[in-house]
Amino acid sequence: MTDLDRTIHEPARLRILTILTGVDVSDFNFLLTALGLTKGNLSSHMDKLEKAGYVKVTKSFNGRVPHTEFSITEEGRAALNQYWENLDAIRSLKPPQEP
Amino acid sequence: MTDRDRQEMQAGDPRLIVQWARRYAKSRTISFLVQWVFIVAMVVCIGIAASLTNMAYKGGNMVLFTISVVAMSLAILAFTWFSMSRWGGELIWQITQWLYGEEGYVAYLGDRDNGPTPWWLTALGGGLVVYHLAGALLVSFNYLQLKYMQPFSAAYMVPFLAIMIVYQQLGFWAWVWPVLYALHGALLVAGVPIAFTGQWQLLNMVVPVFGYGLAAIVVGHIYSRFALKQLQRVTRSGLPGETETPPPSEDDTP
Repeated sequence: MTDLDRTIHEPARLRILTILTGVDVSDFNFLLTALGLTKGNLSSHMDKLEKAGYVKVTKSFNGRVPHTEFSITEEGRAALNQYWENLDAIRSLKPPQEP
Repeated sequence: MTDRDRQEMQAGDPRLIVQWARRYAKSRTISFLVQWVFIVAMVVCIGIAASLTNMAYKGGNMVLFTISVVAMSLAILAFTWFSMSRWGGELIWQITQWLYGEEGYVAYLGDRDNGPTPWWLTALGGGLVVYHLAGALLVSFNYLQLKYMQPFSAAYMVPFLAIMIVYQQLGFWAWVWPVLYALHGALLVAGVPIAFTGQWQLLNMVVPVFGYGLAAIVVGHIYSRFALKQLQRVTRSGLPGETETPPPSEDDTP
């Protein structure tokens, strides 16, 4: 049976990656606004996505103000596409026949 | 879109999340509003100084004339410097971020090249300035009536704005500006009495340029509120507890 990527399968992380697919860059506050998660929770999800190589974190300064931006990596985009393909494959499986 | 498509595109649908995230990112217009305020403030300063210069010259007051010429020159220099300096860009960015507050930052450039502005776009911008200077000269030498300056301007401005909107892949809101500008010009040519007269004639240019620009910005901002609500609706539904997922445990790691 096809395996689903468990990093992506978590609902919040799936939505984070989907949002990042639709835009070029986003910061932490925007993801908080869109998802309504707590800061700690979102931070933990972002760490996991970054460690998996699915999200790129860019830290910079605008004047003296630190700014952290997130964007989806090519690896993240490919993994997300593969996730949807695998999910479609699972959906197309026929349930076992009753004896 | 078929009924089946509509049924499939329910809350939590990734296509809807991508669609609303993109629409929201493309309709964030507060940075344009901040730039608009700076430009209008500068134009008002230059206009007041120019008006004082004119009054002082006619009244033969050389002290006021000198002061107002210096003030006008400083205002033009400040405007040019602010428009071109890195500091000006950073200030606008910081004010924009402050106004968006907790809403955060998001950007979508589409497939547009993020490199330097192409030469043809710079040439079109230069052409815009030359065209309007030529228009001002035509008015000065009475080859063109001041009330027809706006339709004259629209003949270049409308295609220029359209090209800029397509190039920058701005949202639908941006079209409000060229559409209203073109409509205004057409109505003036058709003889509809919407022109300012007497000492207010200059407003025939000022109102369409800044007023319709502001209208487009406001439409974009209102739409961004709607797009954000829609994004939150489709993104948050289906998440456990709607507002908070349980903290990630070791079980959900690969």
